[in-house]
Amino acid sequence: MSYAVELVNISKSFGSVRAVSNVSLSIRKNEFFSLLGPSGCGKTTTLRIIAGLEEPDTGVVKLDGRDVTYVPTHKRNIGMVFQTLALFPHMDVYDNIAFGLRMRNYSEADIRRRVREMLDIVRLSGLEHRRIHQLSGGQRQRVALARALIVQPAVLLLDEPLGALDLKIRQHMMVELKRVQREVGTTFIYVTHDQTEAMVMSDRIAVMKDGVIQQVGEPYDIYMHPRNRFVATFIGDAINLVEGDYASPGVVKTSLGDINVPSINEYVGKKVVFAIRPEKILIGGEVSSDLDNVFVGRISLTIFRGAFIEYRVYVDNMEFVIFKPHVGVSYLLLKPGDMVKIGWRREDGILMPE
Amino acid sequence: MNVLDLVRRSRKLKLFLFIGIPLLYLFIFFFIPFLIALLYSLGMFKQVVYQYIFVPRVSLDYYAGLFKYPGILKLIQRSFYYAVLTTLGTFILSYPIAYYIGVKLDRRYRDTAVLIIFTPFWINFLLRVYGMRFILHEAGLVNTFLRLLGFVSEPIKFLGTDLAVIIVMIYSYMIFMVLPLYGVLEKLDVELLEAAATLGATPLKTFLRVTLPLSIPGILAGSLLVFIPALGEFVIPELVGGPNTATLGTIIYSLFLRVRGVTGWGIGSAAALIYITMIVVASYIYMRFVGGEVVLG
Ligand SMILES: Nc1ncnc2c1ncn2[C@@H]1O[C@H](COP(=O)(O)OP(=O)(O)OP(=O)(O)O)[C@@H](O)[C@H]1O
Ligand SMILES: [Mg+2]
Repeated sequence: MSYAVELVNISKSFGSVRAVSNVSLSIRKNEFFSLLGPSGCGKTTTLRIIAGLEEPDTGVVKLDGRDVTYVPTHKRNIGMVFQTLALFPHMDVYDNIAFGLRMRNYSEADIRRRVREMLDIVRLSGLEHRRIHQLSGGQRQRVALARALIVQPAVLLLDEPLGALDLKIRQHMMVELKRVQREVGTTFIYVTHDQTEAMVMSDRIAVMKDGVIQQVGEPYDIYMHPRNRFVATFIGDAINLVEGDYASPGVVKTSLGDINVPSINEYVGKKVVFAIRPEKILIGGEVSSDLDNVFVGRISLTIFRGAFIEYRVYVDNMEFVIFKPHVGVSYLLLKPGDMVKIGWRREDGILMPE
Repeated sequence: MNVLDLVRRSRKLKLFLFIGIPLLYLFIFFFIPFLIALLYSLGMFKQVVYQYIFVPRVSLDYYAGLFKYPGILKLIQRSFYYAVLTTLGTFILSYPIAYYIGVKLDRRYRDTAVLIIFTPFWINFLLRVYGMRFILHEAGLVNTFLRLLGFVSEPIKFLGTDLAVIIVMIYSYMIFMVLPLYGVLEKLDVELLEAAATLGATPLKTFLRVTLPLSIPGILAGSLLVFIPALGEFVIPELVGGPNTATLGTIIYSLFLRVRGVTGWGIGSAAALIYITMIVVASYIYMRFVGGEVVLG
């Protein structure tokens, strides 16, 4: 089986800016794939190269196994939802959605039937004769989605389509997008700088930085096994990092003392970064004496975050961030200034090269 | 309380200063002369030496007089012919230029490009038209070129022909077409064109379905800015044309400034009103036809 999209060693510079650097990706059919990274890391440029709106300096673009590096956009059978949506302001909702079918010379009767179906899928029925400027942000977003989907593209490219929406609609649209993707069974390539969006919707995520792919994997994998410091901090709400030496198998020497970690032979004798997620840390009465790692610290801050409590605990000079779900009144028991034990299990720790 | 305080306090005074003065200006220099011309053409206003006489009786004699004028219909027809061809010509020549500057050219160079387009307009209109006489002359630039390139053996006689008038009119009016077109094309969102391409539209279809419809306001503005003055043009036919290039404008001009007197002004006013009526009717039909949806709903 061939991949829906394959990028082989793609590079692209604008003047002295290397926007995309040696990117290789293989995206499977019907996959919801996200390109995740901070602003300016080259996500849009990568997407535009797949769409043929930008020509790579080097490398090959393949769609369904076919080399399309120099095929113009209109012959690529892709759909795209732009960051700015780019809806046609001189057409109503119906004509916007019908545009791609008209370009393919469908009969008007056929177009009417398909647009109806699509309006149903994106839940816009009844609005077909509105002008674009008469729609809300979320409705516009769905028109853009419908317009791109109706031609049944082999691949749908989405460039931060939810960026302009407020949190509630964004959460709603995330679920909608996922639902639509299942319903139409198309490959989605979704660009975002919001790790939550990527985590919620994606089958796999590629994390990008400065035009370079840092890691590709399933959300769980990337969250649990980040390959480097950048990925570890970019994914997830927070993470605790401690630098140290991997002195002997299973032990990292740090300024806090020895930390017991999983045994990974390739790190022996090297400098490493130890990381532990905030929700993996036990605190206070949860810490039993036979836990692999136990430290004593002072609580500097407690923040009520709704679904959980965030504790800030100083161990020596290192501030740990700890998330605790609250059951009953447990959170009232720990107050800033209190000395507490914190600890975690050996296998919850993450090791990365320095 | 001084005057400034008074102005600050009163909304009506502010409103008056803001739009009252421009309106007053138009009233004095446009509306009243227009009214006088209207009354003149209907024989209701007469000037005898320094006396102005109001005649409370409508007469269409001057209009009848105008249509008895030999060849008047031919003149009106020719005015339309020149104006339509000038509008079409300026459009065809301006669109690619405006598109190039407004869409393709790097944003940094756009202002400079527009400035360069303007350079001919640093020179007085009459001088420019005179200049064209030399260019189109039998021993002028165009003929010299055509001869050197071996296209013609005998010089072509441009001056005095319709062709010369239209060439010079297109040249003179082009800027009024380029600017409004540039205005809309410069604002055209290039992502719309890219979006069309992702939906399978060829470059030609993208142009016809997206670029062109979104240029309509500029096309409308540009063609009205060209068509209206072109319909009344008389200087260019006078300077590069000949006996067979007189227009409605020529007639109005000569009625007011050569024939003169009560009759000259009367018939001249009638001609001017017919000209204005034609503009209003033609513009209305045009807007309905081209920009119906955009401009008039
Ligand atoms: N047309 C261009 N000309 C010059 N530089 C460009 C151009 N397009 C992108 N760049 C540069 O290339 C780099 C990557 O840009 P890109 O738009 O791909 O980033 P992005 O990841 O989509 O960012 P964002 O999340 O802010 O949209 C940036 O440094 C940007 O300034
Ligand atoms: Mg971007």
